[in-house]
Amino acid sequence: MGNPPHHGNQLAAPALYLNMHLPPRTCCESLLHLPFLCPSSLARLPRSRPVSGAAPCARLRGLTPGQVGVCRARGEVMESVRKAAEMVIEECQHQFRNRRWNCSITPRGINVFGRVMNQGTREAAFVHALSSAAVAVAVTRACTRGELERCGCDRKVRGVSPEGFQWSGCSDNLSYGVAFSQTFVDEPERAKGLSAGRPLMNLHNNEAGRKAILHNMQVECKCHGVSGSCELRTCWKVMPPFRRVGVVLKERFDGATEVRLTRIGSRTALLPRDSQVKPPAARDLVYLAPSPDFCRLDPENGIPGTAGRRCNGTSRLAPDGCELVCCGPGYKAGRAEVVQRCSCKFSWCCSVRCQQCKNTVTIHTCRV
Amino acid sequence: MSFSGALGLSGQHFLFIFFYPKYFLQMAGAIIEKMSTKKLVLFVFFILLFQIFSILVGALISPSPTTAISYLATKCINFHRTRAWLMPWGSNRCQQVHSFDDPLAKTLDANDIVFAVHVPLPNTEMSPWFQYMLAVLQFDIAFKMINQIEDDVVITIDARLAYRDDMTSEWTTKFHSVEQRPLRCTFAVSKCFFQTYENEGRFYHCDPIPFMELGSVAHKYFLMNLRLPVNDTMNVGIGEIKDIHVVGIHQNGGFTKVWISMKTVFSPWISVATVWYWYRIRLLARPPVLLEKVIFALGLSMAFLDMPVEWLSMGFEWTWMLLFEDAQQCALYSVLFCFWIIFCGEHLMDQRQRNLLSAYWWQVGLVVFGSSVLLIFDLSERGVRLSNPFYSVWASESRRISVCLYFFSLCRMVHCVFRTISGKLQQLPTMPETRRLRYKGIIFRFKFLMLATLTCAALTIIFFILNQVSEGHWHWGDYTLQVHSAFLTGIYGMWNLYVFTIIFLYAPSHKHNRKKLGDTQHTDMTDKPESQETQLTCGEQGPTEVYRITGKVAEE
Repeated sequence: MGNPPHHGNQLAAPALYLNMHLPPRTCCESLLHLPFLCPSSLARLPRSRPVSGAAPCARLRGLTPGQVGVCRARGEVMESVRKAAEMVIEECQHQFRNRRWNCSITPRGINVFGRVMNQGTREAAFVHALSSAAVAVAVTRACTRGELERCGCDRKVRGVSPEGFQWSGCSDNLSYGVAFSQTFVDEPERAKGLSAGRPLMNLHNNEAGRKAILHNMQVECKCHGVSGSCELRTCWKVMPPFRRVGVVLKERFDGATEVRLTRIGSRTALLPRDSQVKPPAARDLVYLAPSPDFCRLDPENGIPGTAGRRCNGTSRLAPDGCELVCCGPGYKAGRAEVVQRCSCKFSWCCSVRCQQCKNTVTIHTCRV
Repeated sequence: MSFSGALGLSGQHFLFIFFYPKYFLQMAGAIIEKMSTKKLVLFVFFILLFQIFSILVGALISPSPTTAISYLATKCINFHRTRAWLMPWGSNRCQQVHSFDDPLAKTLDANDIVFAVHVPLPNTEMSPWFQYMLAVLQFDIAFKMINQIEDDVVITIDARLAYRDDMTSEWTTKFHSVEQRPLRCTFAVSKCFFQTYENEGRFYHCDPIPFMELGSVAHKYFLMNLRLPVNDTMNVGIGEIKDIHVVGIHQNGGFTKVWISMKTVFSPWISVATVWYWYRIRLLARPPVLLEKVIFALGLSMAFLDMPVEWLSMGFEWTWMLLFEDAQQCALYSVLFCFWIIFCGEHLMDQRQRNLLSAYWWQVGLVVFGSSVLLIFDLSERGVRLSNPFYSVWASESRRISVCLYFFSLCRMVHCVFRTISGKLQQLPTMPETRRLRYKGIIFRFKFLMLATLTCAALTIIFFILNQVSEGHWHWGDYTLQVHSAFLTGIYGMWNLYVFTIIFLYAPSHKHNRKKLGDTQHTDMTDKPESQETQLTCGEQGPTEVYRITGKVAEE
């Protein structure tokens, strides 16, 4: 079987970060160019060391020169990019918790989600879209928290009036976040040129991720005219929670279109492999290669297989039911004693006072 | 002599009316009856020009009326429960917890968390041109099976507000209050279905909670520290709060500048017109009638509304500005409604004794009742906010009822007038010449005002609806048209021009010339039986002037 050919530079990723604090064997240091994130390493990073300044940017491996430039120019934003990586892992694992491929991070951390990311599959499409959206969301949240200078009042962002904040306010922080996501996440794909299949697919999916945010904004209004009348009404847009973005992208994942690179005149475009299917819209996800079988363990490709996965054996129709998650060999049941929390006293956050209860539960796991 | 002939006479002497009242002979009645159609059209044309200008000022020059900026509160840790002010960012930022899912958060108590918001964002400052600042809270609450939001829950917030004028000085406490607000949240799926583990982690949709209203923005930087204190009874059952968003709303500086400019232009205009009107009334030999007094009151209240008090708010911290502006608008609406009722009543030309305020006791009473309810409600809400900007009262429905009753009675009266008019119109051919002229004058005056008022009211309603349904701005080629600003400046300009039109066109013509005094006295005596007759049919004394002209000319 051997290694699938890795298309080195063509798959150049907005990889990065912060690997300077890590022992050498973790991702981002390997010569393989990796898709967007090295989240496992990021998650282990101490938060107290923000990335800013020229020196740390140059040391990050996996960044294309354009991205290093962005890192230098807007260094304080890199902290948000790191947070975006964590958001992606968490959300991806939540959305795929009932599927055969459950977005697991390989323990060796060479390639975060497995080589399935290298092959232009549906899963790669989902991860790219999600990470592009995560960067936009994380940067916007940092802006609204006041952690970043300028943001919506940045003159370089479209829509800000030259007269400034006092005359007409600043533009939306979300515009800044989306613009940064476009600049940073799309940069390596654009650098590779728009004539190859994978960069085009990545660009399309990145845009689909950002569109998932923009199309799910909610508008809230407040009337504050004479004694509360609606003569004066102010409306503002609310960003959707990231969970909602994950749900929307999961739906797009389920309806993704398989495409191939076609030449039309002097340009190249991605058109559906099946000519009966209508061309994908900007908000749909596209993929180039079919997904591998996730049932069998394949350590070279980073596929853990379904052996040992927990599933819900009680209900046949549940989405996490054993019939759907486990493959051929089926599943087995076992009993285990677990200690759970019970009689908890909650408040709106933070510490919870609970008692410990011992329970014997039946656990179902997939067979090898 | 025909009616139009009488008008032709006035056309030439139009300028005389305005500039040389002493020299003008024998003009009487309202100016509108005397103006030639050509002059009237020209006048209306200029009014329309000013109206279009005021709309364009709002659409092209002014920015949007208000700005809403969303701030995400930083979750500061306040271990020692000190009263110090916690800054979310900057050089001495507080120790933070980034998310309540962090391991660090599990060691904390809910009473240790302080939500800190610094208004405005870094590198920007607040300005007195913003006029006011409202704050609205939006909670991000996640669904958890074991910690759900209970029905009819009230959230208790311990809020503190501080200010400073430069980035290095200490924070000065401005307000501190413990507020309660009802929490209204829904879930996208119906209650029967959403209570499953599948939906854990998804957020409720909570209505924005009105939180604070500052009547003036006198400082550059503000800091809010919010706590959600927890004990056995307080803040129990409010779900799992992940984040608090504070939305700060203020008026754009550019809009304030445009608005103040408009007021500065209209204020002397309307004041001068009102003074001129009263001068005209004084020149008459007779005492002013009720209608003229009401028109004068209308001019006064519009001049009161136009007072550009905002200039003074730049220098002083006057927190009662919002209340004052509400009072100004309230006064104008009351006088305007009274004016319509009285105008209709005076033109009813029926058998009743009019020209007295007491004849309209119940309509005027209704207007006074409605506006006093409005004012009291406003005083109780905005007045208390002078000392505590976090105060909130829940709205009442009583003023809607009075408005409905008022409009019902107005419509009935208008209907009566039109019925009387159509009755009189039928009788017109059979009437003697002089009476026909008089009635035609009255009818024309009434119809003109009706048309003007209906146009203004219809435009107000149309623009209001357009304002509610459309986005704040339209793009047209290279230009951005601000629809909200255009609506506000256009409506403001329209009602100013409306009041000016009434004052000008319904002003009585000047007093009689002194040389002719003997003649007028003579005519007075001969007119007595006729004036008595008019007393019986209609209390209006103005139209008798028309009488006298035509009678006098006929004599000559």
